[in-house]
Formats: sequence, C-alpha cells, structure tokens
Amino acid sequence: MKLKKATSLFLSAIMMASVVAGCGNKAADTTPAGGETTQSEDTTAADGAEESAADTAETSSGEVTDFTMFITMPGSEINDDNEIAQMIADKYGVRVKETWLTGQTASEATGTLIAGGEYPDFIDSDEMNLLIDADALVPLDDYIDQYPEFKEKWFTEEEWEKFRQPDGHIYWINPFGNTKGETKTTTHNDEAFWIQVRVLEWAGYPKIQTLDEYFQLIEDYIAANPTMEDGTENIAYTILCEDWRYFCLENAGQFLAGYPNDGSVIVDKTDMTIKDYNTSDDTIAYLKKLNEEYKKGMVDPESFTQTYDEYIAKLSTGRVLGMCDQWWDFANNVNDSYKQTGLDLKGCNYVPLGLTTEAGMENRWHTYDDTVNQASGIAITKDCKDPDKAFKFLVDCAMDQELHDLRFWGVKGVDYEVDDDGLFYRTDEQRLNWADTAYQASHRCQYSYFPQWHGTSDDGKNANKPEEQPSEFMHDMAEPLKACFDAYGVTTYPQMIGSVQETNGPWFPMYSYSNNFTTETPGGVAWAKMGECKHEWLPKVVMAEDFDKGWAEYMDAYNACKPEDFLGEMQEILDTFK
Amino acid sequence: MARDKTRKKMDMKATLKEMKHQKFLIGVSLVVVVYGIIFYYWPLTGWLMAFQNYKPKNGIFGSKFVGLDKFRFLFEDEVFIKVIRNTFAMGVINLVTTTIMAVLFAIVLNEVRRAWIKKPIQTISYLPHFLSWIVVTSILHVSLSSTGIINDLLMRFGFIDQAINFFAHPKYFWPIVAFANCWKETGWNAIIYLAAITAIDPALYEAASIDGADRLQKIRYITFPGIKPTFLILLLMNVGNVLNAGFEVQYLLGNGLVQSVSQTIDIYVLKWGISQNDYSLGTAAGLFKSAVSIAIIVIANSIAKKYSEQRLF
Repeated sequence: MKLKKATSLFLSAIMMASVVAGCGNKAADTTPAGGETTQSEDTTAADGAEESAADTAETSSGEVTDFTMFITMPGSEINDDNEIAQMIADKYGVRVKETWLTGQTASEATGTLIAGGEYPDFIDSDEMNLLIDADALVPLDDYIDQYPEFKEKWFTEEEWEKFRQPDGHIYWINPFGNTKGETKTTTHNDEAFWIQVRVLEWAGYPKIQTLDEYFQLIEDYIAANPTMEDGTENIAYTILCEDWRYFCLENAGQFLAGYPNDGSVIVDKTDMTIKDYNTSDDTIAYLKKLNEEYKKGMVDPESFTQTYDEYIAKLSTGRVLGMCDQWWDFANNVNDSYKQTGLDLKGCNYVPLGLTTEAGMENRWHTYDDTVNQASGIAITKDCKDPDKAFKFLVDCAMDQELHDLRFWGVKGVDYEVDDDGLFYRTDEQRLNWADTAYQASHRCQYSYFPQWHGTSDDGKNANKPEEQPSEFMHDMAEPLKACFDAYGVTTYPQMIGSVQETNGPWFPMYSYSNNFTTETPGGVAWAKMGECKHEWLPKVVMAEDFDKGWAEYMDAYNACKPEDFLGEMQEILDTFK
Repeated sequence: MARDKTRKKMDMKATLKEMKHQKFLIGVSLVVVVYGIIFYYWPLTGWLMAFQNYKPKNGIFGSKFVGLDKFRFLFEDEVFIKVIRNTFAMGVINLVTTTIMAVLFAIVLNEVRRAWIKKPIQTISYLPHFLSWIVVTSILHVSLSSTGIINDLLMRFGFIDQAINFFAHPKYFWPIVAFANCWKETGWNAIIYLAAITAIDPALYEAASIDGADRLQKIRYITFPGIKPTFLILLLMNVGNVLNAGFEVQYLLGNGLVQSVSQTIDIYVLKWGISQNDYSLGTAAGLFKSAVSIAIIVIANSIAKKYSEQRLF
C-alpha cells in the first residue's frame, strides 16, 4: 500500500513537472517571437545577434509578425529558436513557420486544406488550380504594382502574363529559376542518368553516350566489385517510383530522343506538333533495356515498392551505382550525408551523363535558360493575417541582397569569411557545419520556397548561392569528383552532361500547362487516368517475363485512357504560340 | 359519440400528465435527438453533391445539378469496378479470417486452466489492437522487404532461393492485408467470445464429464452451441461493415504495382474527391458504398430471421 502511494505521488510529481516545463518552454518560445503583441524595440534587439541590433530601427512597426507557410514538398522543419530566422525577424519583422508535406501526396494535402477551409498565410502547392477553384488565394496584381522595381526585375512582362489566370489576376509567383547578373551555374539542376564517380574512375573515364554503354559499364563494374570496401553489397541501378516522383522511371524517353524537359509531351518544333513520348520508339527501347537489365538482376528489386525516404536512405549509404533522377530530388540530402560520412572521398558522388538513344545525338537534358514554371509558386491566402506585410517580405526576399546572403550564405564570420577582394569563402569547418542537419535546424534558415536568385550578387563578385561560387564549388568537391571532372576536361556539371545550348520556345515547359489540368475537361480526365495507368504498368513492363507481351498489354490499358483527348488539348495550347 | 369525445379528452389529459411527469426524461432524449439531427442527419444533405458539379466556392446551394452524370462516370470507369471487387474481396476475407481466428483463439485460451498463464496471454494478445496502422504497416514493410526477416528465414530454411518481393506481386496483397488484420484484431475480438464462454453454466461441463465426454466433445457440444448466439449477432453486425474493408492498411501498403488489387472505395473517394478536387464524384462513390452496405445488412438480417431466432431488427 505504502509503495503504491509513493509511486502514485512520484508519478503525479513527474506529470506536474512536465506540465510546468511544457508551459515554460512555450513561454520561452513565444516571448521573443512577439506573436500578436507589440514589443519594445529593446527586447527585440537584445534577443537578436549583435550585427542586427543597429538595423532594428528599420523594422517598420517594431513588432514581429509570425506567418505560417505550407509547402507541398517534404522538407525539414527548422527549430522555433533558429538563429538566422531570429535575425531575419529582428530586421524585417517577419518570421515564417514552414511546415512540409508528410505522409500525404501534394494533391491530397491541398485537397484536405480546401475541405477544411482554413489556410496558412503562405502556401506553395503543386495544385494551385485547386486553390483558385476554392477562392483561397489573394490576387497579387495590386501588390506587384506597388513594387515596380521588383516587378521589372523578377519577371519580364511576358513571364508575368504567363501567371495571369483566366480571371485576369495573378495569384502566385514562382520563386525559383531566376538568374541575376552573370550566370554562375555550376550544377545540373535537372534530370539525368547519374553514375558514381568511382565507377567511371575504375573504367578509366570512358565516354558514355548511350543507355547500352551505361548499363554495360555498370554491369562490368559490379561484376568486378560486388561489394563496397566495408563489405556492403553494391546495387547496380535503382528506380524511385513513389507517387509523383515516378518521373524517375517515366520520362527518360523524351530526353533519350534528344528533346528538352517539356515533361508531359514532346514538342516537335519543325511542324509545331505535340508528340506522345509514352509510345515513342525511344521509350520502347528504353523500357526494353530496363526489362533486360531487370532480368539480369541489375535493377534493384525494391525499386517499385520503395518510398522516397527509403530511396534517399539507400543512396546515402553509397551503395547505388546509378539511377535516373532530377538533381534537386536527391543531391542536397545525399551529398550532405556523403560529406558527413566521408563517402565522397571514396568516389560515391554522382555525375550526370548526357545519354541519348543513338551515340552522337544532341542532348537536351540540361536547361540553360531560366525555366519559369507558371504552374506553381508562392501564394498568399485569404486567411493571411497581414497580406501587405507578407507581400513586402516576399519582395524583400527577392530584392534585399543582405537578406539573400543571410539565407543562403549565413552569418558573416560564422558561416563564411570574406577575403581581401570581397569574395566570400568558407573554411572546411564552416562547410561541414553547413551540411550538418542539427546545425541546419538550429542555425540555418533558407526560407527555401521564397523568391531567390541564381547568378551574381549585387556586389558583382559573389554568387548568390554558395554552391555556385566557383572557388566554393571547387573547394567543396571531393578529390575523386575533381579528378573525374579533370579527366573529362570539364569544370562544372552542365559541361559534364554536355547538352546543346539553345533557347526554348515560349511554351516551354509544357508540363506547366498539363499540371494545371482539372477533371473538368476530357483531356484532364484522360491525363489523370493516364498517370494512374502508367504508374501501374511501367513497373509491370519492366518486370515482365516477356517484354513484347507486357508492352502490348500496357498499350491496351493505356489506350483505354483516351490519351488522344489529352494530346488534343495540349496541341490547342501549343497552337496559341504559332 | 359524446362518450367517445370525453374518452379522447381523458386520454389526452392522461398523456399530458404523463409527459409532465416525465419531462426530465423527455428533455434528455430531446438533446439526443437534436444531437442526432445535427451530427448524423444534417451532414447527409452533403449527399446532394453527388448529383451536382460541386465547387467549393459556389457551395452546395450554388452548384449546378447534373443528375446522374457522376454515377455514369463511376460505372463507366473500369477502375471503379475493380475497386468494388477489391473492397468486397478484402472485406469478406477479413471478416471470415478474423472471426474464425477470434473464435478459435477464445476456445483455445479457455482451455488453458491456469490463470497465471491465461491472463498474460490474453493481455498480450489484444495489445496490438491499440497500435496504429502506421506502426503495423511499417513493421510489415520492414519484415516483408527483400532483406527482411521473413525472406531471411525462408531462404535460410531453403524454401526459396531468391528473396520474394512481397509488395510487388498483386497475388500476395490480399493475404498480407488479411494477416495484418488477424494479427492486430484476433486478441481483441476474442474478448467477447471469452466472455460468452464464461457465461456458459459450468454444470453443463460437469454433467458432460460424468457422461464421459472428452475435451473435444465438450467443446463441440457445449462451447460451440453456447457461443452461437453471440457469434451470429456479431457476424450480422460485421456483415454490414464488409464494405469498410479498410483504408489505412491498403493506403499505406499499396504502391503503383499492386494498385489494381489494393485500392478500396475509400481510397478511390480520397483520390478523386480530395486529390482531383472532384467532390461530387467522391460523394457519389461514397453514397454508392453506403447504399450497398444498407442493402447487405437488411438482406443478412432477413436471412438470419428466417433460419434462427437471432437478428438485429
């Protein structure tokens, strides 16, 4: 009895303590944030870092507004007391709490928001048309006109027009893909067949131009090196197939045929027609090759059942020799993790290969121009507490170089140094910190779905993003990667993939139109059904015992979706550019 | 005539008097009725969406009526036909397997005479019921992966030479779902049967022993008939739930390769209703499901009425 009493007392004491602690934390969190209450400037400044103290006066009203933002992409939340977020809040009076997609698909998450009828202040969704349909967004035209400098610099008149919806308003701004000043592109932020540097090194840096050569190389390598140094088995080739990310399997056909990333269709410029790459000879050849490799055991058997997280975890172990993917889909996570585990020194980094169906064809894997995807972007919802301030912050993100540097370079003297010529550079420790996830959560705050620039900073010297700073880029490369680039006589990823340079048509990319299709039109219904059909059948075709039979069955299912409805509507859109 | 009138009056008076007497009870039940109307019947007006081309910004009263267009779309969609098949198949498989497992488990557990063995087993067996599907499916995903424990064991004992990719083949999907349901719910469902068994008069068992019945015979002639009413009532109630074959399991375990067998009506509703923003189509599919469920339960009940004294209504 006594024991029982003592136990219960103890337990209740713990509970009380945790309740108190919980409250305590909350109080600590909200006080500096300010929330809705106005704070004296002194407190705000004291909480911030020293540099920003002097600038505090700039804050229009001296109070910090907390905005919320939902992004229909998986991402990592930063801590509530993130240091750079605090500095930004002190200076610009805005703090944004970003939440990311978990468990659901982008369209489910958006649909759920609409069904609930309550929105975050900012939203970046892949399903903007749904939000428009629900009247959830604030028209931005008037706000944009208030900032003529931003309007002029961010997009051209034509580009702005692309964002104008049928009702005559602009509701969102794409934050990506804009270059300021001289271009400094060093990464291939597009799709490619990637291969680990160690494979190329082992084979003596051969010239790989076709899919056959690519898989031959991987087969040879894995026959000679079935395991990694530590005994982990190598995986020849894996395919990510989860939800919308099945583009890793789905659209290589258009690139292999030498076309750029229009995404949902091929545009034949010669006679301005829409072509379906799903049924093209290049796609058949590509899937046939995959089928062949699958039967040989070269394709990871978990390919079609793995989740995105499992895929990233797999790549991060360095076991996977090659895959087809978009750089932004894997590189940041995987490269950071290689840096932490030292796998980059063992040649695990991936380089892109500009493969085509036949050797010697022109390839268009790399997009040189700024790609303006008018289908998505950052928007302000009708539930936003303070749209004026929200939009001002959005403009600040684009126009204020200091803020831009803070987001992408970090704090001067802490995250980067400046040399005598005014060039930014980082020490090894700073580089390692920047890649560390714990540090990212507590210190780094990129607001990565707010407007941002590639290219050159306002100072005319530095790159807007560290990875584009030539010296940084070179320093950041591990020895094996550098050796590989040297062997091929290139200095950047785009040179490595060697795509032809040309300007894309004003319709580019066509996927920005098909992404906005709804089931209102027959083409939209066909598009939704085609996606579902391909999702099921492409893996089946790759795994088929008899490829031709599998392909024929797939074609039956595919044609039942009425792809001609979809292609017809895409042609209508393309015709407007004639 | 006059007598009739006075009698009616008297009746009225009596009723009023009684009502006055029971005003508290009436008040309480009124609350429940209002609650029911607000939370169960009022939302049903949402079914109107199935006959409209519903747009969130126009609302239910501003959207255009399109008659049975959405239903036409549904039944012309091959996927939906498959979805109905999947839902039925998984619902029936789940119902049969979980019921059989629960009854067997309850009987076997009942035969365990020592409380210190029986109690812990019972507790342990129903704990999985409280796990969320997220956890259960993660465990399944890991243990059934090509490097997971199941493949490892099968290969070690020489049943197979190459790891089976369980989630890549449609034929494994329904068994996996049924297994997951059994694993999670057997212990929980057995509780009610255990209670029914406990309620059987011990004198019956004693008498049977004296007549020389062995264990199996006692189970067959006493335990089985003893739990039959419970069994039938539960079966009846669950038959109405057949179309609720599940959402989470299929949603979490499914992938593109097996979607032709994994999608249930609920997933279809989510996919078209929420993801494609076609609320009307989603509602139509949900409405169809409800109608079929009601039909099934009425049929099952009348069958039960005919062949035994057990029934729901």
